Amino acid sequence: MDIFAQAYQWVNLKYLLEGLWVTVEVSVISILFSFIIGAIFGLLRYMKIKYLSMIVGFIVDIIRNLPLLLIIFFTYFGLPNVIGVRFNTLWATIIAMTVFESAMLAEIIRSGIMAVDSGQMEAARSNGLTYWQTMYHIILPQAVKKMIPPIVSQFISLVKDTSLATIIVLPELMFHAQVIYGQNTNFMIPMFLALAVLYFIVCYLLSVLAKFLDRRLSKA
Amino acid sequence: MSMIEFNNVEKYYGKFHALKNINLKIDQGEVVTIIGPSGSGKSTLLRCINGLETVTSGQLLINGYDLADKKTDMNKTRKNVGMVFQHFNLYANKTVMQNITLGPQVVLKQSKAQSEEEAHKLLELVGLNEKANSFPDQLSGGQQQRIAIARSLAMKPKALLFDEPTSALDPEMIGDVLNVMKTVAEQGMTMVVVTHEMGFAQEVGDRIVFMADGSILEDHSDVAGFFKQPNDERARVFLSKVIKHM
Repeated sequence: MDIFAQAYQWVNLKYLLEGLWVTVEVSVISILFSFIIGAIFGLLRYMKIKYLSMIVGFIVDIIRNLPLLLIIFFTYFGLPNVIGVRFNTLWATIIAMTVFESAMLAEIIRSGIMAVDSGQMEAARSNGLTYWQTMYHIILPQAVKKMIPPIVSQFISLVKDTSLATIIVLPELMFHAQVIYGQNTNFMIPMFLALAVLYFIVCYLLSVLAKFLDRRLSKA
Repeated sequence: MSMIEFNNVEKYYGKFHALKNINLKIDQGEVVTIIGPSGSGKSTLLRCINGLETVTSGQLLINGYDLADKKTDMNKTRKNVGMVFQHFNLYANKTVMQNITLGPQVVLKQSKAQSEEEAHKLLELVGLNEKANSFPDQLSGGQQQRIAIARSLAMKPKALLFDEPTSALDPEMIGDVLNVMKTVAEQGMTMVVVTHEMGFAQEVGDRIVFMADGSILEDHSDVAGFFKQPNDERARVFLSKVIKHM
């Protein structure tokens, strides 16, 4: 037990929390960006606009089938060679996460819209509403409700996947834990335990938030 | 001028010939029932009238506007032609009241108060005033279909299309829906009804159209006469099969 007391001394905990802050920072910014881009891409693909929807679908399918780690390597090591701009580890990670998660979210959003019964669109159109009036009043409100659970799952994966950025030495939670037990391997198990607890708290809060949103929407 | 007029209309789905040389004129105030075996093109014909399907060739005039003409404003035309669906298609995220008032508010720019006042009258008509604040999934199929009729009427359409409005209902619900349709017909609404309810066709219909394989084979103003003595062999076979089950 002495090991745990030593491992969890304030200086270590503080260092872990600093890492957690970076993890949360990367997650929140990536979630915001990828939600906006994912919504636009999902809608564009859904709308079946000649060529444009095909191109968007093609891009989304490619990105979805690449490992996230490859995209992180590309934005950090690859981009400087391609466009001559070097991002720091934080922004390289945010860009990579945003690219990857946008593609995942685009598919969730598209399939959420498609899951709304086509009779709803037909009824609204024959009721005199235009396409966009129908989307706004009927289709999207129903689709959003269907989308919330898979979107939250995706955001939870996103938070956990930020740990991949350890490899490009982003000073996030996982990396800071490694630094601590790198200095004293006896701290390994206490650190794993601390990681489990901290990731759990962040991800669990996300799902609580989702339940709250879901209930609010059900009432509306 | 007829309210709805098909002139040599053809409709293809890829290679499938869904509507063959359709010629049909429907006047204001007429109640036309369309019967025929499934897959005969009845629903397709109906869906063309409010633009849910486009015709491949020929002319389809609604109030004199050609739906095949790209210059025709489809949204404007739809305002005048309501549709009631087999599966009701009430807006799942809206209450009964919101289902009825959405079109009037968004499309006709009516005030909330005015649209709700008229909605209450329509709910009275379909006998469901106490359900104004229910959601569609809290209603039976028959109730949902009566709300769907009220929703269509709220737009004050010139014509109302019914696509097998009672086919998805439990038998004991059918009577209520048919009674509402009868009331609407008596108020002079132009109605085109695709149905398997031969009793309704005989009692309420001014005219009966029999379709098979995408063609109109019979078109009679003498509805009772048609049921007694159809000219076409396929109509005779169809009727003998349907009537046996009644």
